[in-house]
Amino acid sequence: MGIPSVAVAAVNETELVTQAQRGDRNAFGELVRIHAQSVTNVIYRMCGDVQIAEEAAQEAFIQAWLHLSSYRPQTSLRNWLYRIAVNAATDILRKEKRILPHAIEDLPLTDSRPGPEALLNQSERKALVQKAILSLSDASRAVLILREYEEMSYHEIADTLDIPVGTVMSRLNYVRKILKEKLEQTLFLNVEVDHVPAR
Amino acid sequence: MSRHVSEWLNAYHDGELRGSRLHAVEAHLAECELCQAERGSLESLSRLLHEVPAPEFMPVERFAARVSLRIPHQSTGVSKKQIIEFGWWMIPVGLLAAWIFISTAFVISDILSAAGNLGLLSSTAKWLASGSSNEIYLSTTIGQMGLLSGNGLNWAEATETFTRMSLPQISFQVSIALLYLSWIAIWWARHTRHQQHGQLLEG
Repeated sequence: MGIPSVAVAAVNETELVTQAQRGDRNAFGELVRIHAQSVTNVIYRMCGDVQIAEEAAQEAFIQAWLHLSSYRPQTSLRNWLYRIAVNAATDILRKEKRILPHAIEDLPLTDSRPGPEALLNQSERKALVQKAILSLSDASRAVLILREYEEMSYHEIADTLDIPVGTVMSRLNYVRKILKEKLEQTLFLNVEVDHVPAR
Repeated sequence: MSRHVSEWLNAYHDGELRGSRLHAVEAHLAECELCQAERGSLESLSRLLHEVPAPEFMPVERFAARVSLRIPHQSTGVSKKQIIEFGWWMIPVGLLAAWIFISTAFVISDILSAAGNLGLLSSTAKWLASGSSNEIYLSTTIGQMGLLSGNGLNWAEATETFTRMSLPQISFQVSIALLYLSWIAIWWARHTRHQQHGQLLEG
């Protein structure tokens, strides 16, 4: 019976972390390659701008290198990096005073047009969804992003954000309720139309 | 019909419920159209959120190269957090060492005192044992002044002997025991916090 690839990857990652903690820059570079996309994605979902997300993700990895000695190998490196990433995103949002892509700033969250005219095309719909996500508070958005896009469990989110599991649950309840309210009028109508089976 | 399960629908939708809580939510959903609709809206919302794909980021190799150029040449040494963590685990070891030291000191003191009373010590050793002498100065003075006599004086002598010989030993050991219990309580609180997840979702 072969060793599962996930287990091999975990062993390799632990080894890479140990080497990086001893100052091996190549080992750290390998860790950056493994986690670059997901860390950048988390920050992008938080701030909504690709260039700023890439810049903040690099900063997050520099912080990770500087504080690598405080990382405990028995915990998840991904969760630890996500915590740094969320902090980096929050910092950058504070500095940049809310980043919203100009293209979607003028789009309304609700559509008052009646009947079929209310149906939005796909790109408009994506823009509206993104705007709704970006309009949430940083704390709520972080929980939603880690759950919906990174598919982390409540326990992992709690560890990553250093909050109790009960808080993760209540924030998710709240944030989904708010999102449903914001998107209900326009988007659920479109979803229902989209899913009508073809005759 | 059982109570609505709105507060647990998000956790159910995310596959986080287990045990009796999961069965309760499933049983309720089977018979409640309102909660079924709410669950359906959660699924619709998830679908909508996934309609926003991640954009194309810069290639991983270029990203790694940029990070490599920006990171300083030496990683920091042992962190403050690690020192605190090490100190935390050293607390019970330190308390145990203190308890052994104090107990040994009292036993040696008692032995020296007994040897002194039997006249087995040299003058230097007598000087060393003088600190552990169980002489009762206060009760003797009170007796000489005629303030107490008979049973009263005997009680005063017994109390003074107990206070001089046994009370410090008991105080030290109780203090160490309290410190150790406090450490265990803090450890238990930290441990419980980590286990909170399962209990909360299993109901």
